[in-house]
Amino acid sequence: MCLLTAAALALLTPGCTAVHGSVDPSTSAVPVNASVRGDVTVWSWNIAAKSLQSLTPQFEHDHAGTKVTVEMNGTNIQSRLLLALVAGVGAPDVTQFQFYEAPHYIATGTLADLTPVAKKYETMFPKAVWQNCTMNGKIYAIPWDVGPCALYYKRSVFAKYGVDPDKIRTWDDYIAAGQTIVKKSGGKTKMMTLGPNDIEDLFEVLLQQTGGQVFDDHGRIAVDSPQARKALSIIKRLRESGICSDVPAYGQEWLAGFSDTSVASYPGAVWLGGLMKDAMGDYKGRSTDWGVTRLPAVDAGGIRVADWGGSVLVIPAQCKNKAAAWAFIEYALCTREGQLAQYHKESLFPAFMPALKTKALDEGDPFFGGQPIGRLFATDIDKIPALNRTSNWTEAQGYLKQDLSHWAATGMTDPDVLGVVARKLSKRLDLALAPPNPQSWGHPTGHTSPVVSRHMPFDQVSSTQVLSPQNWGLGGLSWTTGPIGDRA
Amino acid sequence: MTTALADLRRYRQFYLFIAPFFILFAVFGLYPLLFSLYLSFVKWDGLTPMHWVGLGNFRRMLEDDLLWRSLQNTAIIGLLYVPPMMILAFAFAQLLNAQWLKFKAFYRAALFVPCVTPMVVIALVFSLIFSSEKGVLNYVLALLHLPSIGWLTSEQWSKVSVSILVVWRWTGYNMILMLAGLQGISPEYYEAADVDGAGAWHKMTRITLPLMRPTFRFCGLLSLLGTLYMFDEVFVLTKGGGPGTSSLNFGMYLFNLSFSDFKFGYASCVAYSVAIVVFIATLIVNRFNRDEDAAPKRGRLGRA
Repeated sequence: MCLLTAAALALLTPGCTAVHGSVDPSTSAVPVNASVRGDVTVWSWNIAAKSLQSLTPQFEHDHAGTKVTVEMNGTNIQSRLLLALVAGVGAPDVTQFQFYEAPHYIATGTLADLTPVAKKYETMFPKAVWQNCTMNGKIYAIPWDVGPCALYYKRSVFAKYGVDPDKIRTWDDYIAAGQTIVKKSGGKTKMMTLGPNDIEDLFEVLLQQTGGQVFDDHGRIAVDSPQARKALSIIKRLRESGICSDVPAYGQEWLAGFSDTSVASYPGAVWLGGLMKDAMGDYKGRSTDWGVTRLPAVDAGGIRVADWGGSVLVIPAQCKNKAAAWAFIEYALCTREGQLAQYHKESLFPAFMPALKTKALDEGDPFFGGQPIGRLFATDIDKIPALNRTSNWTEAQGYLKQDLSHWAATGMTDPDVLGVVARKLSKRLDLALAPPNPQSWGHPTGHTSPVVSRHMPFDQVSSTQVLSPQNWGLGGLSWTTGPIGDRA
Repeated sequence: MTTALADLRRYRQFYLFIAPFFILFAVFGLYPLLFSLYLSFVKWDGLTPMHWVGLGNFRRMLEDDLLWRSLQNTAIIGLLYVPPMMILAFAFAQLLNAQWLKFKAFYRAALFVPCVTPMVVIALVFSLIFSSEKGVLNYVLALLHLPSIGWLTSEQWSKVSVSILVVWRWTGYNMILMLAGLQGISPEYYEAADVDGAGAWHKMTRITLPLMRPTFRFCGLLSLLGTLYMFDEVFVLTKGGGPGTSSLNFGMYLFNLSFSDFKFGYASCVAYSVAIVVFIATLIVNRFNRDEDAAPKRGRLGRA
């Protein structure tokens, strides 16, 4: 037994010392004006990797003495990277993250500080994505592509049932148009797909449109808010109006909807167009039936775009050749040339706004009947309200998904579902609930719908009278200190 | 001690020969085992330094309703799929063991194919079978004038759907094990029974079933572990346990804890605790079985 314990200790000791993957902050910043030479290894995946690959010849030509190797990793990129970061060696010089994963890694201090070299680009990226690249005022990642959302619709179906896509300006218009289509088609054609497991994605989109948050500026749980309730009330109306089918997203049946008449429209991000082109491989450049119109707004005149998906590039702090790694990121993401090359090659939608201002975005897309969809997606991209994504975003997202799909699968009857989510998040993430004061949520300017009715369906039966001023003091107190048990 | 060392030196070639296993085991077996035991007592996100929390993780487990929910789901899924799978596997094994059946190798391979089919393909096929809009199952129900079922979209049916998939996927595997068990029974017993004038029923209940008990137990143990750590079925079919948490099983829950929540310390603690409970439960069941096996059974054939 004694021997075993000794062996255990001997084995554990190196394990304990190896976990300090974080590097001394003084050396982890990228040097300014350093000479650019040497090898750069990049980890990325599928079309994103191909897209970066296409940039390497020009970069190596511009910077003599550099050699860029893009390694295509599959789903194992995360575990490989985690191991490399823990071990303190073996990470690439540049790696890709989904934009929502980045905050977790930034918070661990294992990424290089890009502030000295990247500060000048701050205003050239949409706030909605730039915010997820920074922490405590320092920059750790550069946005690559963004996922502005719009409404994809089937021209022939809309024409057949007399629905004018240009007249769909709000989600209410959208529901009315959907009911027309469902009714006139005898229920054969649904307006969209929205299964219980896919609600969370749309909720995030709508949350940006209503100006709501999951976490407030202080990292507290702010998901039980009038804005979030408004977002959820739209989902409820969409599902109750009978215009949605339960087909789960990204499955075979869902993909089949691209080419049959089972569904008339998909609200989706710019990358959905790429997915359509891939799935309908036999269209061979000829015009298809699909058109794009802007995303419906929550209220008339409200913002008609939201951000869904996208990724970033980072430099791990352990990288030995930060100057060259940065030079490559700068060329790929912070120049018109680099971003537009990727836009043309693999349809990655540039996050770099100067690239969005060029003529390239006005070119018609033959797949969409020659419609210049690039310009449509780029409209108002700088006005998208940023969601505060914290280091535990993916965990919070998981709970949101569980509770919202439970809510949807059980008939959307629980009026306090967001209260349940908020208390669950508070308990499991060990974070305080935000005080029920809309002024402190971090969007003082209120990009959209600054006035939120408190006579919405979700408010009426809610246990927390959020907007009533009398309750801000004591009510707020009892709200945050009350029992936070999970009712589920 | 000195004699032990002397022995070590004296027989060093032999130790050298068996060393590879022990070295590999130490690196890939013992070290992770001890390291994750250590992790059970710390708070660690994988990248920042660990914090010792003592028994904090264990205390946290008691209040973790998601853990209990996932264990409950695991038990229900297990109860839903193990009995039909075992019965089917046994029936197929009996069939394949029959004298009159031709093309046995073909059937055996056909039944084993699901175990080696990539999960991506299975997911694709089963999403079409379970689809609430155009699914095969709902089409059949409509033909029978029965209401359609939200196989993957309702919380009542998601566990059933997962169970159906598991039965389809693992019946062949269990069948092979049972076939081996059946072929291990000496034909002499059946000949003796024939001589005594026993019918098919008696042969089954007095010879086959008692002698198959070790095989059943082995299959049961594999199913227990398989249920607990089932992952791909849930991951692909119900998108990780939906709707809500209705099909969130223990394996999926553990995966979420580690790779979506980055709670490696707590995840180790949960995994260790459940593993210990299962280990003890298995010991008890085995002990119980051994006692039963050892006790002489009056009026039963086939006890050699």
